[in-house]
Order: sequence, then C-alpha cells, then structure tokens
Amino acid sequence: MSQNRWLATGNFFTSYKQEQRTFFTHLDRTIFTCFLVLLFGWPLVFEISNKYMLVLDNILIAIVAVMGLNLLLGFAGLISIGHAAFVGIGAYTVASFSQVIGENHVIITHFWPVLIVCAGIMGAIFGAFVGLPALRLKHLYLAIATLSFQMIFEWFIQFMSFFNQGQTIYVGRVHWFTGMVGRSDHYLFWYYIILFIVVILGFGVRNLLKTKYGRCLVAVRDNDRAADAMGMNPGLTKVYAFALAGFFAGVAGALHAYLYRGVGFESFTLHASVGYLAMAIVGGLGTLNGIFWGPVAIKFLDIQVEQFSEFVGHYLTYAPNVATALKPLSFGLVIVLFLMYEPRGIANWWRIVKSYSKLWPFRY
Amino acid sequence: MSYFFQIVVSGIVVGSIYALAALGLVLVYKSSRVANFAHGQIIAAGAFITFFLTVRLGVPIFFSFLASMFITFFLAMSVERIFLRRLIGEPIISVIMVTIGLASIFDGLIYLTPFGSENFSFPAFLPTESIVVGGVSISWTQLVGVIITFVLIGCFSWFFKKSTVGISMRAVSDDQFGAMSVGISVPRVFALAWATAGLSAAAAGCIIGNITGLNFETLHAFGIVVFPVVILGGLDSILGAVVAGIIMGLIQQFASGYLDGNFGLNGTGDVMPYIILLIILLFKPHGLFGIHEIERV
Repeated sequence: MSQNRWLATGNFFTSYKQEQRTFFTHLDRTIFTCFLVLLFGWPLVFEISNKYMLVLDNILIAIVAVMGLNLLLGFAGLISIGHAAFVGIGAYTVASFSQVIGENHVIITHFWPVLIVCAGIMGAIFGAFVGLPALRLKHLYLAIATLSFQMIFEWFIQFMSFFNQGQTIYVGRVHWFTGMVGRSDHYLFWYYIILFIVVILGFGVRNLLKTKYGRCLVAVRDNDRAADAMGMNPGLTKVYAFALAGFFAGVAGALHAYLYRGVGFESFTLHASVGYLAMAIVGGLGTLNGIFWGPVAIKFLDIQVEQFSEFVGHYLTYAPNVATALKPLSFGLVIVLFLMYEPRGIANWWRIVKSYSKLWPFRY
Repeated sequence: MSYFFQIVVSGIVVGSIYALAALGLVLVYKSSRVANFAHGQIIAAGAFITFFLTVRLGVPIFFSFLASMFITFFLAMSVERIFLRRLIGEPIISVIMVTIGLASIFDGLIYLTPFGSENFSFPAFLPTESIVVGGVSISWTQLVGVIITFVLIGCFSWFFKKSTVGISMRAVSDDQFGAMSVGISVPRVFALAWATAGLSAAAAGCIIGNITGLNFETLHAFGIVVFPVVILGGLDSILGAVVAGIIMGLIQQFASGYLDGNFGLNGTGDVMPYIILLIILLFKPHGLFGIHEIERV
C-alpha cells in the first residue's frame, strides 16, 4: 500500500486502515529502525562497566513496569498505589519456584522464558483479583483499596517462612544456547533480553491501543456511563485493565528476580510504588512515549541525587544517611512540581520539540 | 478474664488515638474532598516539634504541646495555600497524587533532621507506676492521653456544631455553591479545614509519642492506618471517625492478643485493619456513618 504523502505534515488520514498502520511515514520507520539498531548495536562497539549496565537494565525493567501502570492510570484512569506489590508478585512467583524445586533446577535455568510469562500471568490473576473492588469503587476508594493490597502483600511476605520472611531468596544463573551465562556477561545478556521484551511489549501496547480492547479503556476513563451506553462493559473493562497492569508488572518482577539473581522484600515496598507513580507522572500519563521518558528521567535523577548526597554528606554529619532523606524528597518534589506545572509530563515537551522541528523554519 | 479486659482497655486507648488521628483526615475530606496521604507526616512533625521544645529547649510539656499545635496549624494551612489551592478543580487523580508527593517530601525533610532515624522518648512527667483495677492495668500516660483525646474530640464537635466558623465549614461540605452564595469564602474554609486537621494531627502525635515513644516509622505509619479507620466510619463523618477508631483499636488489640502465637500467625494486628478495609470496600464502601454517594457502573 502506498503511503499517504500528507501524513508528514499533520493528521490527514483518509481511511481507518491508514490510522491503524504501525508507521505513518517512511521517515518514521527509518528513524525507528536506526534507533533500534543503535540500541542493540552499541554494546558491540563500546564497553561499559557492569555498574552502568545494571543501571540500564534497571531502567528497562522500570519501563516494563511503568507500561502497566500507565495503561492503568493514564489510559484507564484507575489509581493504583500498590504497583510495586504486583511487581513483587511476579518476582515472588519465580522465587517460589526456586524455593520448591531448588535454585538451580533445570526449569529455572533453562526454561526461564516460560517462567517469565508465568510470572506475568500470575501478576494478571492477582491484578484482576485486586481490581474487583473497581467494580463498585472509584478514585479515592480505589486508591485506598490498592494501598491496602500493598500493605497486605508486605505483611504476607514478611510473615511467611516459605518466602524466607522477606530475606533474599536466590535464583540460579540462566542458560542460553551458548551455555551458562557467566558473571561477566550477566548484565549484558539481560540488557539484550529485557530490551527485546520492551520492544515486543511496546509494540503490543501500541497496537492494543488501536484495537477495541485498548480503545474501551480510554472510553471508560473519559466517561464510563457513555461507554456503557455504547455497549461496553465498564466493570469488566476496569478489571481487565487491572489484569493487564498486573501482567506487565509480573513480567517486570520476574526480570528483576533474574537480573539480581535473588528476590528480597525491600524492592517492593510502598516507597517503590510511589517511585513507579513518579515515573508514570513525570513521563506523561496517557501517552506512549511517556512510558519511556519517565523511568529514564527518574533513574537519572536517582543517580544525580545519590552523587549529590555523597557530596552533602560531608557537611551534614549528624544525618546518618543523606541519600535516604534526599531520595524521597526529590521524588516528592518531582511529582508535585510536574502535577502543578506540567501535568502532561515530559511527553508533552517531546511533542512540542517534534512539532517545532517538523515545521522549522516556519511557525506553522 | 482479666486478660480479656486488659485487651479491651488497651484497645480503647489505641482506638481513641486512632479516632483523634482520623479526625484530621475526615476534616479535610469533608470540606474539600481531598484525601490527605501526608497526614501521618504531619502527625510525626507535631510529635517531633513537641519533643524538640520540651527536651532541647526546656519548655514545660503543656506549653510545648500547645505550641506544636499552633505550629502545625500554620504548617498545614501553608501546605493548603501553596500546593492544594492551585489544584482546585483539577481531576481528583492529580489531587491524590499531589498529597502522595507531599508525603514523600515530608518524609525526606524529616529524614534530614536528626529525628528521622532514631528512637526518642518523652521525659516522664506523670507517675510511672500504673493503675491496677481488678487485674487490669493502665498507665497514667495512657489514661491522661485518652482523657485529652476525648476532651479534644468534644471541643471539635462543639466547634462544628455551634461556632460560626464550624457552621460555615459544614455549609461548604454540604454545598459549595450554596455556601458561596451566602457569602462564605470557600478557599478560606479549605485553609481552615487543613489548619484544624494539622492541629488535631499534632495533638495525636504528642499523645502517641508519650505512650509509645517517638519513632518516625511508627508515627508516619499512623497516617496510613487511619485510612481503614475513616473508611469504616465513613469518610465524611466525625462521629464515624470516633466510633470506627475505637472499633479498629479493639479489633487490632484482639487480633494481636488472641491470634498471634496461635495457628502460627504473627503480627496480625498490623494487617487486620487492611483486611477489614478491603471487606468494607467490597460490601459497604460508604462505611458506617458515611453518606451514600458511591456510584455503581
């Protein structure tokens, strides 16, 4: 099919089929392909230390988790303050396999893609279950329901001796076609795997939002009675949105478990939930590229704050750990300032830059 | 049997503190429909200000109690003025998020002070031996705390029933446009609601600090555990907050008194409020005394 030549200058769709294409113009496709090649190719040329590789892996995992949260919060308009608990459910799915069959069992080391999907499904089941109150509740009540799920999850993990009372549960090293992934390649290997998953899931989200299953989320967010009148089932849609968010979170959790080769309780606390919220808000709720901007910005801020607090720590000697103080402070400030001054997030800046560069040197 | 009554007594002590802590949340929600997720941090701030004034500056505890209530009054008012005032009319999601962000900011600020990470306790100013009646013991601090709590709750309900400011606050919560048309300044009422919430939070913080000792984690956990309380009582009912606070305190103490150690359970007192919260949200989301306004879609 020939491309619509006018699409480079604005929204000139002439058929629904055109609107559902993945790439609108040749330029879009070229830029995207170049970007992907760059992302996959740079480790072949440059070599960076494991420390920075770990940061990149963390960003990618956060992107997977924030995809779910953004679908839930931005597209379906349902608040969740317990997203870290869903991530934790994914991670603890892997961990419970490791507890039952041993950390180096062949299922864990060889069939890890199955386990990752399994963790996602587990997250989806729990998500749907937690989403049940959404059938009757809105906004604030829903926020409190997910908050209580987070608290119950934390208590449950710390109480069960099966989960090692929240202490680290080890997960073995995985195998690839070339044999066991060793210590030196570990972070690089997971960079490629998670990047692959991010690309797959990113396309998944993008295409989902062009089908009726994605559009019904937006319809229910904008006006659930109107959506009901149009023949959608708002209750079912809300539960389904929670299940979807749970799936993404579960996948992120399983990746987290494999990346750190262990599952500890402290990565899935209320603070982490607030962190995911901050990423979703800073990136831009209800936008696709916000999913990618948010985690990058917040993790970058995180590193800066850590360095800054090391510097400040020399002067504030009475405070035992300046980083524990400055991290929540900066997160909170970022959330509040973005909500007050730029509620549409970094994605809005990106939109402005893009439209400006498209029309430059003309004004419109 | 005295074990049972002991649990009842400690449940009432804990519950009355919950009631006082929940009061601030209800006040803010009632007038401006904002759920304040930063309430626990204001409670902690009030407690630490009192501690600082009594121990570091040597002010008598009664005066520092009043002073900390005075300071948090203006603290909460300025929070409303700076952050929440701009968000009037914004979607409810962003307002909730802003209070979560505020909670995070306060967390950071308190961690920056020396109070964030250590345990402190107030100097004993009441007799340390406890009162024993028929095998049930209650310490003087707890008794005085409960009495102060009930006096304060009485004052607050008088304030809402009789005083002009209280009546205008009730008018705003009833109908904002109606209140505006009879000449009530709605933003001023919002600010006052936040300020009184801050005041009650400081009082709650001082009483908790005197009974259990000062620890930031415990204090700001109160800001989250009051949510089950206010949901049980109904988000916009002051009577509901008091009744539900005491019910929740009793449930918590009974759970940790009878369930812990049996059936291999542990720490049930901490999780019970949330389980009850989920059950209430599923079956009776407006709580015991709240107004029916949940819509089903």
